[in-house]
Amino acid sequence: MIPASFEYFSPRTVPEAVNLLVRYGQEAKLLAGGHSLVPLMKLRLAAPRYVVDLNRIDGLSYIREADGFLRLGALTRHAEIETSELMRGRYPLLADAARVISDPLVRNMGTIGGSLAHADPAGDWGAAMLAAGAEIVATGPGGTRTIPVEEFFEGTFVTALRPDEILTEIRLPQAGRGQGGAYLKLERKVGDFAIAAVGVALALDGDGACRRVGIGLCNVGSTSLRAEKAARLLTGQKPDDATVARAAAAAAAECDPASDLRGPAEYKRDVVRVLTARAVRLAAQRARGGA
Amino acid sequence: MKVEGSYTFAAPRERIWALLNDPDVLARVTPGVKTLTPQGADAYKAKIELAVGPVKGAYDGTVRITDKTPPERMTLRVEGGGKPGTIRATGELRLEEQDGRTVVNYTGDAQITGLIAGIGHRLIGGVAKQMAGEFFKAVEKELRPR
Repeated sequence: MIPASFEYFSPRTVPEAVNLLVRYGQEAKLLAGGHSLVPLMKLRLAAPRYVVDLNRIDGLSYIREADGFLRLGALTRHAEIETSELMRGRYPLLADAARVISDPLVRNMGTIGGSLAHADPAGDWGAAMLAAGAEIVATGPGGTRTIPVEEFFEGTFVTALRPDEILTEIRLPQAGRGQGGAYLKLERKVGDFAIAAVGVALALDGDGACRRVGIGLCNVGSTSLRAEKAARLLTGQKPDDATVARAAAAAAAECDPASDLRGPAEYKRDVVRVLTARAVRLAAQRARGGA
Repeated sequence: MKVEGSYTFAAPRERIWALLNDPDVLARVTPGVKTLTPQGADAYKAKIELAVGPVKGAYDGTVRITDKTPPERMTLRVEGGGKPGTIRATGELRLEEQDGRTVVNYTGDAQITGLIAGIGHRLIGGVAKQMAGEFFKAVEKELRPR
């Protein structure tokens, strides 16, 4: 099908785009990479009357470390994160996640900001950013505000963004020594949504004990989820086999998968258990300087 | 597709039963209901507009309440359709009183066809749980004095 009629805007600046949202509110949708919105529009499951294309706004696509943060512009394409040397070297959780998003066509167009704002529970960035403890920067008519990612996902396709706000940046603490991360995804075939996926970020202190553990779960709930109990079980402990197994079991119990074509709920829970254990081990290995 | 869960209210069972059988309350607490028109005893015509983020759909349907054993159990039967698809759902509610609180256990079964079933299949389970949560939270709000 083709989309229902809509009016199309292509602003050149963020304030211009914000003004359009102020004027049209809930009737407007922002267009970034387009690979989530446009299929919905073509099926007429979504029919916004106004589409505000962000792609001609300069200065929204960047990957840089500054002031103690890693800052990612919202319009940075998944492929740019996937191929970035900085990501591969210092932010393996993000490099891993970027690599498994859908297929290369989607990765060339899709953006990290669009993905997070779309808030599909099967979106890989949601789980990865929950693990990383990121902050979302939103720009609206009153200026910018920062939303901790833990407060960002409110429901399926629903975020804390107001109708007149644009997600403009994602930032997380700059990587330091002794930090590691990993993102592991099980999919039926390349390019599919996850049966389940797990992202882990952690740091190891001088004694080899975990601190600042974050675990994010993908496609096992109505939103991206944090495995908080699992993370707490690891904090302050060395990631030995018994501790990792306990944390993995906790993560499996904390998720809320639905039975569907990708498998029964119990199967998905067990996939979470297995992937959590593997991701924790891989993250710890990277934190020690290996892998 | 099956949905089940439970919700606990800090109120006696008779109160919760009364709320769940009051059409004005049902119209307020059921997600997306625009109009709920009685069609005889325990039957209603409904117009519903459901939005899951950018995915919005309008549906026409009927709701019937059957198998009532006040104040313990009732069954809701919903049938509706719209451009995005059709739904046929049955939900059984069991009310148990424990120390002045009411535990509502619900089990539901839904058959969904059309575009939302084909494209949205992977999301339906999660969205159904979400809506059940919204429904019960809204019932909870009805307990507070206005």
